[in-house]
Amino acid sequence: MSTAVVFPGMGPNRFADAAKFMMVNPSARRLLAAASDAVGYSVMNRFRDSEDDYSEAAQVAFFVNCVALAEWARERYGLEPAFCAGPSFGQKALTAFTGALPFEDAARLTALLARRTAEYFATEHRDLVTLSFVRAPWEALAPLLEELTERGEWHDFSCYLDDGFYMLTLRAQAVEEFERRIRSIGGLPLYTMRPPMHSSRFSGLREQVADEVLGEFTFSDPEIPVVADGDGSVVRTGEGIRNMLLDGYVTAVRWPSVVATLKELGVTRLCVAGPDRLFGRVDCTVSNFEVLAADPVRAMRPRT
Amino acid sequence: MWDQQFEDILRRALPYMEPGETILADLELRDYGLDSLGIVDLLMDLESTYGVQFRDESLSRETFATPAGLWATLSSLTGAGPLPAA
Repeated sequence: MSTAVVFPGMGPNRFADAAKFMMVNPSARRLLAAASDAVGYSVMNRFRDSEDDYSEAAQVAFFVNCVALAEWARERYGLEPAFCAGPSFGQKALTAFTGALPFEDAARLTALLARRTAEYFATEHRDLVTLSFVRAPWEALAPLLEELTERGEWHDFSCYLDDGFYMLTLRAQAVEEFERRIRSIGGLPLYTMRPPMHSSRFSGLREQVADEVLGEFTFSDPEIPVVADGDGSVVRTGEGIRNMLLDGYVTAVRWPSVVATLKELGVTRLCVAGPDRLFGRVDCTVSNFEVLAADPVRAMRPRT
Repeated sequence: MWDQQFEDILRRALPYMEPGETILADLELRDYGLDSLGIVDLLMDLESTYGVQFRDESLSRETFATPAGLWATLSSLTGAGPLPAA
């Protein structure tokens, strides 16, 4: 059986849930201490005090938990992953897990990227949000996108998650009407995310990250080949990992492309390492792979 | 009150609901583990079982907040009576 480890994108992560795992799990405790040293503050304390679900400390904590859960799964189930993938935020944990960056560097990079992204969107594209919605088959969705175009509403896909399941970046003022149209075709709008993500509009952020953040990091070739979240290509070099991180700012996540590549590579089981409510559950995942959810609940369950 | 089919379908959609635990009309479904993808599966189950299609206002997040709200919406789609006041 060929297994790939997948690090999920980040969803809302309640402090109580994340903190309990970080205190109970030995790997998580060790990695949390290492991450705190790397970023120069107590990740646990700052995460506890932050009110934003996606604060810098929340992002570092999510990163820590994902890496710790992958380590736990490797030990608990004897996993020897043949490939690794990390859609969206999952790229950060992937970078550490595959050895493309030492863990401490990846932790610091996670913090720096969170900070830079927050600074960028504090002044840029303040009118844009990313809307997720589901049950919107392409043939029904396409006319709604044409309506947006006809009204002069710029829009851009940020994530292709599954058949009929997308994230679209558009103006906040256009969301209410677009949601109404999505409901009219039987679709279900889910979340509106601010700041937005993964769009061609954000080339300025990509440039800032390339010029001012990544320069101090040296990426090694990953010990495990990586399937890129933007196009499903296989990445085997440190330079490739660096480019994947940068491209993530300006190109959509295409999870079905990742799934297709993993399947072509003979992968039959996915270990989804981290708190996940999405990637390990969508149809294109569960219909193609056995899914092993390495989540905090399972990791804290007494061994029987 | 809702029918047994609804009760069974809803119970399957609530991972944190203990077997035998009573589903109260005003229970917060989200607290019992009904998340976004859970709502999608629940919708599909209800649509196929009751032969209805959720559209427009019936697809708001509020519809899936409580069993009473969901049953009221489903009843409006099937033409059945609303949930009587407790």
